[in-house]
Amino acid sequence: MKTYWITWSVLLGFTLMMLWADGAAIPRTAFVAFMLVAMLTKASIIGANFMHLRSERLPLVLTVVVGLLVTGAVLFVLIAPDALRIHQMVDASQAR
Amino acid sequence: MAQASASALNRWDGGVCPFDAGWRKVMMWWFIVTDGLLFAGFLASYGYARLLAGRWPDQASVFSLRYIAAMTFVLISSSATMASAVQSARDGNARVATRFVALTALGGACFLGMQAFEWRHLIEAGARLNVNPWGAPAFGAYFFLLTGFHGTHVLTGVVVLVVTALRSAMGRSTAEGVEMAGLYWHFVDLVWVFIFTLFYLL
Repeated sequence: MKTYWITWSVLLGFTLMMLWADGAAIPRTAFVAFMLVAMLTKASIIGANFMHLRSERLPLVLTVVVGLLVTGAVLFVLIAPDALRIHQMVDASQAR
Repeated sequence: MAQASASALNRWDGGVCPFDAGWRKVMMWWFIVTDGLLFAGFLASYGYARLLAGRWPDQASVFSLRYIAAMTFVLISSSATMASAVQSARDGNARVATRFVALTALGGACFLGMQAFEWRHLIEAGARLNVNPWGAPAFGAYFFLLTGFHGTHVLTGVVVLVVTALRSAMGRSTAEGVEMAGLYWHFVDLVWVFIFTLFYLL
């Protein structure tokens, strides 16, 4: 049970660091990179320790994590920018 | 013969349970993956709308980030109590498990109350689904969509936790039942990590 409360304090630490970064004078790119890394680290910690993925069998872990990461990456890296590009094309054709 | 039994022991060959988990746990994980993808879709469309809007309201001027941090603290703490409940149930300590589940439900209810207060504050300030005083119309729409959909999950979680606590108190809940409620609750916490970062901080 001790592990859970250590996990809780680590998550709390990350949240406080993110709030500190929000108020600090950090270049925008570094700020966004830090936030994304902190967010993914927090999510991994919750998955591994609270959801016990750390002690599950590898096929289950791979199915869940790879399934979510690959589909999520397709949404964020491929579909959303493509939607933006299509919107700009529509705007450009309407302007003509 | 020895080769055949060695092959049967290879878990990638099929013939044995590849996930080494009960059907309830496997189904709960499938639900989490599909529901997670639903939230991923919402967040991706939020990113798209935000890029399209050009100018986006400064979150620090709309929300009290300390208040949102307090909501995050409540949810993280409830996740820790839920994990403790699962461990207690596994150890066969039903009484302690019941207390931790009840404490988690209380944390969830507290989070919902805080969210209701935040909604009221924004609605009184003029935020609606299609318009808001801070500029980009999509801001209000995505605020209500993301936090509303997450809040609905929290509400469902609280109901599940109350039922689990009652069943556990009556000695009718199994350790697996508590674990399933726990998986769902941690998923709700996990989604909040993304909403907190992508909507409130970035």
